[in-house]
Amino acid sequence: MTSSFNYSTHLIPPRPITTQSTQRPTSQRPTASHHTTTEPNSSLQQTNKRRCKCYDMYKQVVPFAEAWSWQKSIVEERKLLVDGNEDGLDSLIVVQHQPVYTLGTASSEKNLNFDIKDSPLPLYQTERGGEVTYHGPGQLVLYPILNLRFQKMDLHWYMRALEEVVIRVLFSAFSLKASRVEGLTGVWVGDKKLAAIGIRVSKWLTYHGLALNVSTDLSPFSQIIPCGIKDRGVGSIKDLLRGSNRPSSTSGYHDEDDGKLIDIAHESLLKEFCEVFQLELCHQSISILRSPDR
Amino acid sequence: MALRMWASSTANALRLSSATRPHFSPLSRCFSSVLDGLKYANSHEWVKHEGSVATIGITDHAQDHLGEVVFVDLPETGGSVTKATGFGAVESVKATSDVNSPISGEIVEVNSKLSETPGLINSSPYEDGWMIKVKPSNPSELESLMGAKEYTKFCEEEDAAH
Repeated sequence: MTSSFNYSTHLIPPRPITTQSTQRPTSQRPTASHHTTTEPNSSLQQTNKRRCKCYDMYKQVVPFAEAWSWQKSIVEERKLLVDGNEDGLDSLIVVQHQPVYTLGTASSEKNLNFDIKDSPLPLYQTERGGEVTYHGPGQLVLYPILNLRFQKMDLHWYMRALEEVVIRVLFSAFSLKASRVEGLTGVWVGDKKLAAIGIRVSKWLTYHGLALNVSTDLSPFSQIIPCGIKDRGVGSIKDLLRGSNRPSSTSGYHDEDDGKLIDIAHESLLKEFCEVFQLELCHQSISILRSPDR
Repeated sequence: MALRMWASSTANALRLSSATRPHFSPLSRCFSSVLDGLKYANSHEWVKHEGSVATIGITDHAQDHLGEVVFVDLPETGGSVTKATGFGAVESVKATSDVNSPISGEIVEVNSKLSETPGLINSSPYEDGWMIKVKPSNPSELESLMGAKEYTKFCEEEDAAH
């Protein structure tokens, strides 16, 4: 069902990105052959990128159930195409969610600090991997529906690639040095997890995805043991920036403007997503997802 | 034809299946074992057809690439499976993957040990890690599956391409 090949040296797709020397930092693990460029003359880089439909609702707070059903119906459509040996374009859904807890396939009730029947928030048992997590406003959630046959048929690689997207966003947009922790999927700054990842794969089609805390109110995380990890905490971009000794004049923007943080994070997420997965986004109307004909 | 295959490949099968699972070396990919006498789907499930019952699981190649399986989602006995359609799932590293049935039929038994010990899929993918037993509704479906040699080649090509 998956293939892997020393994934630690294949963090992003083996297809080369045209290179110049770069200011862009890399993540902790070496990705020497995959630097990207910020050269304005980027026409050379536009070749060979597959198109990916983007349903971008990053400023909207969408019920979890709705986004979940969009994903499932997109995946069912794609599976039919894949079975017929044709395939459609990849998709990416970007949302914020109303407050909700979600569980993965193996999630243990022991990671809830409340009775599962008495949850303080709506609770969903999903088909993704990973343990319990919280979604809520101020957190950007990305649901890529990618056919890994066009990337790398390797789940481990895919998880590392999703982490790579966030690591690059945190550094390039916020000057935050993030890292991976071996055995603990997700993106960490120090001992705080800023992004959680949990996915489902069916016939090499991925869904569910990642959630990045930008200006999220983190207090609902105290009602759970997030992702089943007891001795580490959860963080957000806003908290890390506010907590730093950096004077606001050099940070480039003011702490209180959550909306602006979300805008910056969103723009960077889409950019890094395209770079890592070598995709070109085609923005779609959200009404397509909400149409009864789907 | 099938009997002849069985007879001539029994020795091979014994040699392969009785070998100790190679110790995983992070420096090189170990060669996954493929058993003669089983049939294989291109989604890396195996079928062992014995009399009126077919046993299904995921291959050594699949479990090796997944890594440690932490959870197995299995259907209920009495349900049915359809060829090339998902019947369950395995979770590893925060990714849960569908497991597809290579054939159609009625589920007559489910490996309940996997809920306590999902790691059996890693340690014994062809034996203790079996997932479901099915009464095939259409035995001719087995013929369109791959044999051991074909599957081995399939895995090599798939790995080489990525």
